[in-house]
Amino acid sequence: MTDPLHELADKQAALGEVRGAPAPDPVNAPMIRHWLAAMGDANPVYLEQGVAPPAMAQVWTMDAPRDRSPVDDVLAALDDAGYTGVVATDCGQTYHRYARLGERLTPATRFTDLAGPKRTALGVGFFATWNVTWYDEDHRPVAEMLFRVLKFRPPEVGKPYPLQPAVNQDTAFFWEGAKQGELRIQRCADCGALRHPPGPMCPACRSTARTHAVATGRGTLHSFVVHHHPPVPGRELPFVVGVVELPEGVRIVGNVVDCPIEKVEVGMPLRVTFRPMDDRLVLPLWTPEEA
Amino acid sequence: MLSGRAAIGGIGATEFSKESGRSELRLAAEAVLAALDDAGLSPADVDGMVTYSQDTNQEIAVARETGVGDLTFFSRVEYGGGAACGTVAHAAMAVATGLARTVVCYRAFNERSGRRFGQPNAGLSGEPTSQGLEMSWHVPYGLITPAAWVAMFARRYMHVYGATSEDFGRVAVTMRRHAATNPAAWFHGRPITLEEHQASRWIAEPLHLLDCCQESDGAVALVVTSAERARDLRRPPALITAAAQGSGAGQMMMTSYYRDDMTGLPEMSVVARQLWEMSGLSPSDVQAAILYDHFTPFVLTQLEELGFCGRGEAPGFVRDGGIALDGALPVNPHGGQLGEAYIHGMNGIAEAVRQLRGDAANQLAGVTNVLVTAGTGVPTSGLILSSG
Amino acid sequence: MTPETLPETLPELAIDLTPTLIVSTALATRDFTPVHHDPAIARAQGSKDIFLNILTTMGLVERFVTDWAGPRAVIERVDVRLGVPAYAGDRLTFGGTVTSRAGGRVTVRVHGRVSLGDHATGTVTLKEDGRC
Repeated sequence: MTDPLHELADKQAALGEVRGAPAPDPVNAPMIRHWLAAMGDANPVYLEQGVAPPAMAQVWTMDAPRDRSPVDDVLAALDDAGYTGVVATDCGQTYHRYARLGERLTPATRFTDLAGPKRTALGVGFFATWNVTWYDEDHRPVAEMLFRVLKFRPPEVGKPYPLQPAVNQDTAFFWEGAKQGELRIQRCADCGALRHPPGPMCPACRSTARTHAVATGRGTLHSFVVHHHPPVPGRELPFVVGVVELPEGVRIVGNVVDCPIEKVEVGMPLRVTFRPMDDRLVLPLWTPEEA
Repeated sequence: MLSGRAAIGGIGATEFSKESGRSELRLAAEAVLAALDDAGLSPADVDGMVTYSQDTNQEIAVARETGVGDLTFFSRVEYGGGAACGTVAHAAMAVATGLARTVVCYRAFNERSGRRFGQPNAGLSGEPTSQGLEMSWHVPYGLITPAAWVAMFARRYMHVYGATSEDFGRVAVTMRRHAATNPAAWFHGRPITLEEHQASRWIAEPLHLLDCCQESDGAVALVVTSAERARDLRRPPALITAAAQGSGAGQMMMTSYYRDDMTGLPEMSVVARQLWEMSGLSPSDVQAAILYDHFTPFVLTQLEELGFCGRGEAPGFVRDGGIALDGALPVNPHGGQLGEAYIHGMNGIAEAVRQLRGDAANQLAGVTNVLVTAGTGVPTSGLILSSG
Repeated sequence: MTPETLPETLPELAIDLTPTLIVSTALATRDFTPVHHDPAIARAQGSKDIFLNILTTMGLVERFVTDWAGPRAVIERVDVRLGVPAYAGDRLTFGGTVTSRAGGRVTVRVHGRVSLGDHATGTVTLKEDGRC
């Protein structure tokens, strides 16, 4: 990679681990008590044994005076390149031991990796990964964290999504459901037949009395296309559209997202996810169901 | 019964191009005059007109331009390219029932230099009409182009029958080979290889660029009159032995993904059933087929729905040379829409007439019956034309 | 409950994400970023409302697992893939299953869902009866 972003990332990674300032306060009972109360965590072990909940590792150094870490320059360069959006994607913590009351932790940060540009559901972006290790006063690691964020180029703010559905009294329930995080399937109030796409009259019994079921949100990919050309307004190319078969017995069309295109295959299990496209439209989309 | 009552007595067309440089109405008028001239008739003889509901040229406008006087019959046929053979079916019904004596069917557009059907149109889901609502289950997800709509069926067909992109490619290669020796074809003298097909860029996987038909400017017109009168015209008649329209249960426009089976075209099966019943013929009685080829996968499906081979057998049929000029069922000797021009299926009907007359560019021997189909993935139509 | 009889599926934990919970946990984790306590700023930045900070997500995953495993369990590792935001007014429901158990070490697959989908999915590794 020879572009400036990867060059900078390589340079920052080569710095290795950079130590920050030690925690302003030692590990202490009041902050632990405050944390446990806020989390609703009734585990007595911490205060009884004089140790901190391990997930507090980062809390001890949140108020430390911050020197510039090797990560900051990379994130700033991404901002300058237009990748101003940020969303954390992964957080992994390893605890060598629980921190004890009275000890003072010192963080050290190492920039690990910059991957991209990649197309994501949020837009084109880079995944930046770094590691933080908290050391005790004997320079032994107490806890480690891997943290990864996606820095993305946000869609133009306030711009309405150009591919809006037409909606009428026969279909509004579906789109309202999507806004509320529900995948709704029309159900005949008389014979109970489920149906998608919906319509004003039950083709099975001709009833016009309608209600809906909320789908489990699981599905199987029945067929799909990878759209490459021509460009489609509001969409980054290429993108995947599939026909999804639901266990409820109906099919629905939607995008398959958060999955490398080469991994998409007929028969793969999927789970629904809801994505706001603009102020007024939420689309039910599909992600791989973890095994 | 409609069979044998009416005939196509004249065909006419403009040149096929990428930029006609003329208005669509002018193209329509030119093609209509050419078809009347071919039949040896004058505009004064015309009393009926039929076109596609998508055509931008109203019947009365074409009548004004060509000096046609009173019209006693006019009709529009719905559903995009599925209308092609339907225009002839409507004209034949009008002639057979006495509503009109001489009906002109036409299709004219600048589909390359004007509005291109392959470009995304967010307006498809703009209004809560039944069609706008139907499109609203697809357009918001970017499923908005004909290539992508067809690709969805194609992927399922591949999955179920083990068909490959090469199987689609062989259709394109055959059509381009036919077009290469048809001087009227845009791709005259420009055949392709299967390797070129495979190397062409993705449009909507699993469809490559060369799985998609071209975009064309042009117009075609046909003159339909009674079989009896057609025999007295300048050129030999093409008898309308069967004409049919069809849609299937759960039908949608290009997106019938919600029916049990996504590997077939039930609407074409509806058309096929009527064509064979009305004509009394069977697949072995036709010497050539004009199959609508906007995208290669549906040529395979049509071979199966029409009964030329069994379910899932079309890839093998094509691999064995079945659709070539010397094959078991020569398909689109003019090169189809992949090779000659995309005039929404109307140019294929003209080719069927030429094959029956014996004056086609790639003339087949002993042609007495030709089957023609219209747009696929939509409610469609078909014809069996016979030498008279 | 002894380790041998621990069920393979963890009891569900549903947490109503009141503004109080979002704000108090943000402060308890020393995270003063406005999107975790100021609805106007959160909305101005394109969010629906204030939302849970990541430190809290990690803390709640830990709580969910130790509620089940008991005070003798020692957490060794938490790996979380972060998904949709957990907004105020929503409900965060945790579920989990034991995926391996060997040599006193248990791995639990965990997911935390909100109405928009998966907020957090991941694995937690713990010693059933360890020294912290």
